[in-house]
Amino acid sequence: MRQIFAVFKRELGLYFRSPVAYAITFALLLFFGLQFSSAVTSANGQAPADALNYVPSLLTFLMFLVAPLLTMRLLAEETREGTLEVIMTMPIRESQFIIGKFLAVWAFYTVILLLTVVYHLILTTIGIPDYGRAFSMYLGAWLYGGATLALAMIWSAVTEDQVVAAFLGAATVLVFYLSNVAATAVSNLPNVSEGLGAFIRELGLQSHYETTLLNGIVRAEDILYFVFLIVAALFITTRIVEVRRWRS
Amino acid sequence: MIEVHDLVKRYGQATAVKGISFTAHPGQVTGFLGPNGAGKTTTMRMLTGFLPPTSGKAVVAGYDVFEQSMEVRKRVGYLPENVPLYRDMTALSYLMYMGEIRGISNRRQKAQEVLERVALADRANSRIRTLSKGMRQRVGLAQALLHDPEVLILDEPTIGLDPFQVLELRELVRELGKSHTLLFSTHILSEAEQVCDNIIIINHGQIITEGSPAELRSQLERGGRVLLRVNVPADTALPAIQALKEVANASLNNDSIVAVPANPNVDPRPAIARAVIDKGWDLVELRPLAVNLEEIFLEVTRREDETTAAEPTAAPAESEAAQ
Repeated sequence: MRQIFAVFKRELGLYFRSPVAYAITFALLLFFGLQFSSAVTSANGQAPADALNYVPSLLTFLMFLVAPLLTMRLLAEETREGTLEVIMTMPIRESQFIIGKFLAVWAFYTVILLLTVVYHLILTTIGIPDYGRAFSMYLGAWLYGGATLALAMIWSAVTEDQVVAAFLGAATVLVFYLSNVAATAVSNLPNVSEGLGAFIRELGLQSHYETTLLNGIVRAEDILYFVFLIVAALFITTRIVEVRRWRS
Repeated sequence: MIEVHDLVKRYGQATAVKGISFTAHPGQVTGFLGPNGAGKTTTMRMLTGFLPPTSGKAVVAGYDVFEQSMEVRKRVGYLPENVPLYRDMTALSYLMYMGEIRGISNRRQKAQEVLERVALADRANSRIRTLSKGMRQRVGLAQALLHDPEVLILDEPTIGLDPFQVLELRELVRELGKSHTLLFSTHILSEAEQVCDNIIIINHGQIITEGSPAELRSQLERGGRVLLRVNVPADTALPAIQALKEVANASLNNDSIVAVPANPNVDPRPAIARAVIDKGWDLVELRPLAVNLEEIFLEVTRREDETTAAEPTAAPAESEAAQ
């Protein structure tokens, strides 16, 4: 625990001192603000039904860009600079080190997510938003973010080149994001059982967010899906760091 | 205490460390001496728990490095070769971060203590990126000392430092050696001689020889070529040197003479010195040709090659003369 907290504190501090993290946050908030304002304006004074889920929906879509940009540095830089060698001769396990790093980036993402709550506060001036639904979509966006960050972080362990890590991370998150498109394509093929399409759809991120949590439906299976994705991705990352060290 | 038994590290086809065994005792500085790529860093990485050995056993501070890695890590201070540091942190915050991972309770005080010990207290709040190479080396060393470990492993700590910093660091290493089990590596013979109580010479992943600096120097110099300079032109002096029975052959090398001993177990220098004085010349320089490790390695390998080449034919002296 102590080791995890030490790593977490340092990494989170780095995000708040990093111009890149501020640039990402700035770009996101600017984009959301413009989108939100046009959505509200076009609703002509009435709180539009979809203005509420506008921002969480956009943010989760954009995670294919945000997650790799936030995580690419985490392990790639340590490997390249050689600081991983020092850490791995300290009394800390790979898993503790990686969990600490993950929690830091997830915490920073949480800050970005909380900043978008401001749009909800603005909505309260023109109507009464559904708080239950708002909670559900933010819980979902939070878990969704954690899962995509953990997925993108795997590639930071694989390569010491941050750009490569970012590209592969973006591709991985996109694959999970678009798996419902793939599922539809598979289902439309002749001679393929419906089960396969459904299975691919269930593997994807969207079927556990867009249709459920975003609409105020909190299901245990969706929460478990995201938790499982995070745990699995962190486990894979740990194994990769171990194997890379043993082979180095 | 470091005990190593038949340690092997293989990378695919290549074998970096081919079964080495040695013991490093507390209160002593043990030096790993060898050219680059000899397997020094690989061995040290295995001893710190960073790399798992392919086979063999190593016990550091009473714990097996492979089976009880965490216990070993708590008791070892390690300075890797290129001194990796978080360059955006200040020296003090870096040490406090490392201290937190290690679970040191009074880490601010500890960090300040070690910074004083490595004479960096005045730069405690400077970012590591702004520090000079020598200062970074000392930050790395401070990190290794932070938890007052039983065992210190320093991988080429003097590389890239200016001569003054090298002297300071050697002094520090010697001092630390009195209270720790200290293993350090270098490829500079004179450094190992000055600092170490026990030197282990390693090449191609194998221990070539081991001993105190004095033992090793005589062992390495034995049979080696000798360089001579006198105050008369070298070609004038050459015949007199060639005539000595202790010298198998002598040749000109710029303004000096290089003499090959007739018997590798007899140092020709006393005989040469006498001959020079008898002739009434002044002796300017008389020393082993090989003074640094690279040259000594060349000498040692040259001698080994000659011994194997000479075996089927005649005495080594003749094969030397034939060259």
